[in-house]
Amino acid sequence: MTPAALVARIEARELLASPRGRLWLLLLSAALSAFALLLVSSTELGLLDRAQVLYAQLGLVTALGALLAVVQGADAVAGERERGSLLPLLVAPVSRGAILRGKLGGQAAAWGATALLALPYLWAGGASGAGLLRAGALLLLLGTPVVLTFGLLATGLGARLRTVRAALLAALVVLLLSASPLLLGPGLRQTAAGRAFDLVNPFSHALNGFDEVVVDSAPLAAQVVHLGVVVAWFALALRYALAGVRKVAR
Amino acid sequence: MVHLFLAACLAFAAPPTAAAPLAPAPAAGPLSVALVPAPGAPVRPRMGDRLSFHSVIRNGGEAPVEGLVAWVSLVRVDRGQEAPVDLEDWSAQKAVTLPSLGPGQSLEADWPMRLIQAGDYRVVVSAASRDGSALAASPLRPFTVARRPVVESRRVVPVALGLPGLLAASFLPWRRLRRRRP
Repeated sequence: MTPAALVARIEARELLASPRGRLWLLLLSAALSAFALLLVSSTELGLLDRAQVLYAQLGLVTALGALLAVVQGADAVAGERERGSLLPLLVAPVSRGAILRGKLGGQAAAWGATALLALPYLWAGGASGAGLLRAGALLLLLGTPVVLTFGLLATGLGARLRTVRAALLAALVVLLLSASPLLLGPGLRQTAAGRAFDLVNPFSHALNGFDEVVVDSAPLAAQVVHLGVVVAWFALALRYALAGVRKVAR
Repeated sequence: MVHLFLAACLAFAAPPTAAAPLAPAPAAGPLSVALVPAPGAPVRPRMGDRLSFHSVIRNGGEAPVEGLVAWVSLVRVDRGQEAPVDLEDWSAQKAVTLPSLGPGQSLEADWPMRLIQAGDYRVVVSAASRDGSALAASPLRPFTVARRPVVESRRVVPVALGLPGLLAASFLPWRRLRRRRP
């Protein structure tokens, strides 16, 4: 097993096999349950088309996945430092790049668990058969780069700001701003400022991709632009995190 | 409270105008009521759509009609499910009032509604006055609300309650292990 895979395995086990990690999954599940129950308990929301419900669910799952990735990312370097376990990690015969790949693997595992957890909710919201597969593919193609971008951003911030609290706060502010299209109505996003924000915001590109495929029935293959933007942001965040991890002094 | 409700209804009602070219129901007393779907209404409405009807209440008599009140009613006519519909979820505009409607004047009002349930329906607008002894009603206007695939509670509730329950149950082995430790 490579050092990166070993680090990823430890990180994934931390999430999936520890009570603390499972508490996270329980909270994610509770959030998705609350949203689903809101849909059936409100007459107004209960009349939403299934496609609109699925679109809203995909946005919510991506936001929750990004939130979990931010927490993991902020903890990846700054948390190790605060616990006193950073030094043993840095003196181990493992490159900084491998450490980052391992931490990234842990975030990817957490996102995978979140997406798997969301599948029953997507089914309950009305997606089944091909619709459920398409929703899963959307989470994989557009959701994954967005979620990992925020995880890497938090990792880079944690390496530079040195404390979990500072890194978490900074990354959460960016995530909140980026995920604001979830809350803003389409009207507000049609202004010049809104369109410019949508153009550069990776979260907006993921949401617009969900909208085009799920609500407007556009083919997945037509999402090249959205995919290109979110992958470009992922590459930038990877560089930022790698530079931060390389700068970390023993 | 009743006054507040009536005042709100008055705010929604259009001011008295000259008679509109709508075919009213046979007049019972001086009042006649015409009712048509409002322009722009969906041709094949589905659950969740908004539909609006437009009514014109005309005073065809020679004396003013005092204390006019008009209200909308909806009945479901599907076989075996015939029943009046409680408009609570369907419409916030259930009645309009006018202190006085002069001879030859008319009161126009729109009746917007959100289509909550699929089925065959008949809508009617009725009008009465303080001193009148007969009810004036519009012709029954039929419309059908088509089903729309919406979220089903029988799918949502088991998942929304069951999954957190399963995850919570996964904590039990740890609690037992912790208790067994010396």
